[in-house]
Amino acid sequence: MSRLQRILDSDQFYAFRRSPVAMVSAAVASLLILVTIFAPLIAPTNPFDPSSLNLMNGFTPPMEPNAFTGESFVMGTDDQGRDVFSTILYGMRISLFVGVAAVLFAMVLGIILGLLSGYFGGWTETIIMRTADVQLTFPSILLAMLIFGIAKGVTPVEYRDQMAIWVLILAIGLSDWVQFARVVRGATLVEKNKDYVAAARIIGQNPLTIMLRHILPNVLSPVLVIATISLALAIIAEATLSFLGVGAPPTQPSLGTLIRIGQGFLFSGEWWILFFPACTLLALALSVNLLGDWLRDALNPRLK
Amino acid sequence: MLSYIIRRVAQSALVLFVVGLVAFSMFRFVGDPIDNMLGQERTMEDVERLRSQLGLDQPFPVQYVKFLREAVQGNFGVSFRQGRPVAEILAERAPATLELALVSAMLAIALGIALGVFTAIRRDGFAANFIMSASLIGVSLPTFLIGILLIYVFSVELGWLPSFGRGEVVDLGWWNTGLLTSSGLKALILPAITLGLYQMTLIMRLVRSEMLEVLRQDYIRFARARGLSDRTINFRHALKNTMVPVITIIGLQLGAIIAFAIITETVFQWPGLGLLFINAIQFVDIPVMAAYLMMISVIFVTINLAVDILYAFIDPRLRVSA
Amino acid sequence: MKRLTTAALLGALAMPVAAEEFTFAVTTDPQTMDPHAVNSAPVLGFLNNVYEGLVRRGKDMTIEPALATSWEPIEGGVGWRFKLREGVTFHDGSEFNADDVIFSYQRASDESSDTRSWFAPVAEVVKVDDYAVDVMTNAPNPIFPDSIANWMIMDSGWAEANDTALPDKEAGNYATLNANGTGAFQITAREPGLRTVLEPFDGWWGDAEHNLTRAELVPIQNPATALAALLSGDVDFINPVPIQDVARLQDNPDVKVIQGIEARVIMLGFDQKEGASEAGQGGSDLFLDPRVREAAAKAVNVPAILQTIMRGNAEVASQLVSHAMRGYSAANADPYGYDLEGAKALLAEAGAEGAEVSFKCSNNRYLNDESVCQAITAMLAQAGLNVTLDAMPVQNYWPELRADNFDMYLLGWSPGTFDAEHPLRFLASTPNEEKKLGSWNFGGYSNARVDELLPMIQSEIDEPTRQAMLDEVTAILQDEVAYVPLYVQPLVWGARSNIELTQRPDNFFLLRWVTVN
Repeated sequence: MSRLQRILDSDQFYAFRRSPVAMVSAAVASLLILVTIFAPLIAPTNPFDPSSLNLMNGFTPPMEPNAFTGESFVMGTDDQGRDVFSTILYGMRISLFVGVAAVLFAMVLGIILGLLSGYFGGWTETIIMRTADVQLTFPSILLAMLIFGIAKGVTPVEYRDQMAIWVLILAIGLSDWVQFARVVRGATLVEKNKDYVAAARIIGQNPLTIMLRHILPNVLSPVLVIATISLALAIIAEATLSFLGVGAPPTQPSLGTLIRIGQGFLFSGEWWILFFPACTLLALALSVNLLGDWLRDALNPRLK
Repeated sequence: MLSYIIRRVAQSALVLFVVGLVAFSMFRFVGDPIDNMLGQERTMEDVERLRSQLGLDQPFPVQYVKFLREAVQGNFGVSFRQGRPVAEILAERAPATLELALVSAMLAIALGIALGVFTAIRRDGFAANFIMSASLIGVSLPTFLIGILLIYVFSVELGWLPSFGRGEVVDLGWWNTGLLTSSGLKALILPAITLGLYQMTLIMRLVRSEMLEVLRQDYIRFARARGLSDRTINFRHALKNTMVPVITIIGLQLGAIIAFAIITETVFQWPGLGLLFINAIQFVDIPVMAAYLMMISVIFVTINLAVDILYAFIDPRLRVSA
Repeated sequence: MKRLTTAALLGALAMPVAAEEFTFAVTTDPQTMDPHAVNSAPVLGFLNNVYEGLVRRGKDMTIEPALATSWEPIEGGVGWRFKLREGVTFHDGSEFNADDVIFSYQRASDESSDTRSWFAPVAEVVKVDDYAVDVMTNAPNPIFPDSIANWMIMDSGWAEANDTALPDKEAGNYATLNANGTGAFQITAREPGLRTVLEPFDGWWGDAEHNLTRAELVPIQNPATALAALLSGDVDFINPVPIQDVARLQDNPDVKVIQGIEARVIMLGFDQKEGASEAGQGGSDLFLDPRVREAAAKAVNVPAILQTIMRGNAEVASQLVSHAMRGYSAANADPYGYDLEGAKALLAEAGAEGAEVSFKCSNNRYLNDESVCQAITAMLAQAGLNVTLDAMPVQNYWPELRADNFDMYLLGWSPGTFDAEHPLRFLASTPNEEKKLGSWNFGGYSNARVDELLPMIQSEIDEPTRQAMLDEVTAILQDEVAYVPLYVQPLVWGARSNIELTQRPDNFFLLRWVTVN
């Protein structure tokens, strides 16, 4: 209880309550996340189960009965007769999973490499930072396409159909670690010359303990800010990759894949296939971005 | 100093070598170029013959060494798809991408700085808050969707701007430009907005936060106390001091512009390097992919190198730590 | 090429005000201007405007005279004699005669040429006089004139002067970027991947049916962008129109949709090799059982796919060719028909309920291919198969099929000769590298009677006998469910409403039939 009390009394929480934008964003983001977690309970149908689909339901406009089957759907159906509302709920699970996992992957990798290069310097640093250069050379989209190709080549045939999601995570994560590493390295360079680190070194603590115990906590707030904004970017990157043909499989579409499918119907009048997923993505990315924004200001003591 | 520069140049060369190696080891997973080079009536014998003619039957290290040997002499091979020297194709396409990148970067910088200053000065105003939130919409939707929506509104519905391509292009011999014709300028607007939107948001937010930071500094307070006008303080003193990090970021964003140019060029059929590259992937045009990647890495490595050496001149301490 | 661009610019300045300029957009830029280097529809379709063959196809696909005025079988069926048109000139002004035909035969049948397979039945081409040639065949060949409509004649003098006596796929040569045909249009500017400019050839031997003064080809890859370009009037023609947009365009007075049936049949193929290397992909020998193949055929509701995804713009197919093709078997015109209960019963009988199936599909090769595959996946799931769909871009697709990584796959086939014999040679024959048979028979379907009938069909001159054999093969393929033909792919072109044009089932767009009003 005291911990909760401490959070409620903190400066950040005070700033949070004072910022309507932050509160609305937090509400929208948590609503979307909750809805995503409980998708199977909320969604009227399971769009990922192919045997439940009826193609004749295809292209049903929102709230209108289908001409052949008489069924009606809140947000209409797509080209496969999938309920758009249910597909958005299930698709968001994939988008969020890919986004969160990719950012976690990038964050862990970036923190480790950043700490190592900042703390040890020398050859370790040279190798890591030059690797970062190589990394930056490859546009992330390209990197993802190449990783996709390689994964296809090296995964055993029987796992290949499930690998798309993991490849997306790997590809987006790999193209994102550099900024974490740079920030962590910068902060480590500053921290390692401070007296308390020197003291810890003198009393013979091993480098790992020093890095994790003393330096890491001090770099967490910029990392948190980057992570929030990266999450929004990762969700959008997944959509972009889908546009280039290397996204989530069409039978289990993510939000991005849904948008890619929907943009094909922009001119033909079936606006709902694009409109609802795009709005959901917008709401999700916008609220996460706004939260990140607020977090940046709130964690920066000088801007109070 | 000299030894530092030599060491950095050597490292850069190594980076280029590794980029090439990684790229080459990946190409064979992109697909098989032969299928696009032969029609449906080909036999397996034809396939094998062409494969060995192109040297694709050799292990990739051999292919890579051959590529490197030729590339060092300035020969990037012949495009599988177009049957023309790759260097010629790249030179033909580069102006389109550079003009697009330049114009969208200028757009992003001008608008980004203006809006950034505005939102910093009117920190708590409604308009500033609105701009801050609205600018995020641009980065909360995928680029391809923004491009398609812009085409839908401004080309199809309103009929104001062309939907694709570069308009009329003037050939200056060593450069082809769309900036000299009205159709070329019109064609540039939508792609430049699509490409620049993300950078604009980024620059605007950076300028704002840097400005807020600077405006709190003692010398600004002092200037204010001295009775200098707000305009002088904001622009003469504060903005000037935010420029260093902004310029650094703009430099680093070059990569992002190139990456996003791929998408923008695909959506608008903009005849630049990005479109060339996407086509090359589709047709597994290995010489074009290789040359494009090497070109991008050379640009990056050069910029990185220049920045590092520049820093080393400015701040001698860095020579030791790096 | 720079010189050409300047010429085009000057030409543009000198153009009269009433110029009928025409811009047309395609998805894929023709990768070469060399008519013998690549045997693919984008290349041959475009070059038909520039080059001509001895024979050509008319608006209804019938063979009609072009550079040859007449032809007849030589006594005993040893070959064909072609009488050549006199007074024809190439775009550069040089005369056309028998030497150019001999040269073009040598060029097009060379090992380095992708059109070589057209000349497999040919023993040699002999000059009779300046305006007659004999094409000697290894065996009687009734369909030879039909099979060479895309064999384009190049000027021997021009080719030799420009060092392009043979096509070069690897490094390219003069003919890759430049063209010198006898056709109604000549190329005045070529910027690969960007634009290609054509102007009418004043010295053309035929009567112009078009009123164009200039035409420009631009590739636009993204379908939404192409559609936007047509709607906003930036281009006058696009091919294809996304199927879903057909209805909207029909309601729009500024544009029109031209629809037809393409020669391409979309079908499902199955892995019918024993054991095979794709172990682990579920029931690897599953489709060896014809009952399972038949179950798949019955489980797929083709009319529903056509009604929703194809929006009523395609026809159900019953065999490997459409009814517009020569040799179509009218006796076997019934498709399998949708019968979900029947499919379930067949699967139960074969003990294949719940079997794992790996279904491979392209996602950028055929119209709405990914959507169609998704629908098929759902339908097979309803019949009780556990299907995993893997849709990929075409550059990864063919290597995947060649590596046998599939249980079931989607394939489209357009017979180059417009004859039912064509798919038998490539899809139904037992794969045989030496005889160059079955090179696209990825699933390894094999039937001794089919293999026996194919050479007989190829050399049979008597039309009814030939048809009877084609009927027999078609019946065997249907019986054994070698493939499941789904539908004939529609052709959907879009144009501004002031454009008149002719659509041919081979999806070739010919400028000589275009008028701008």
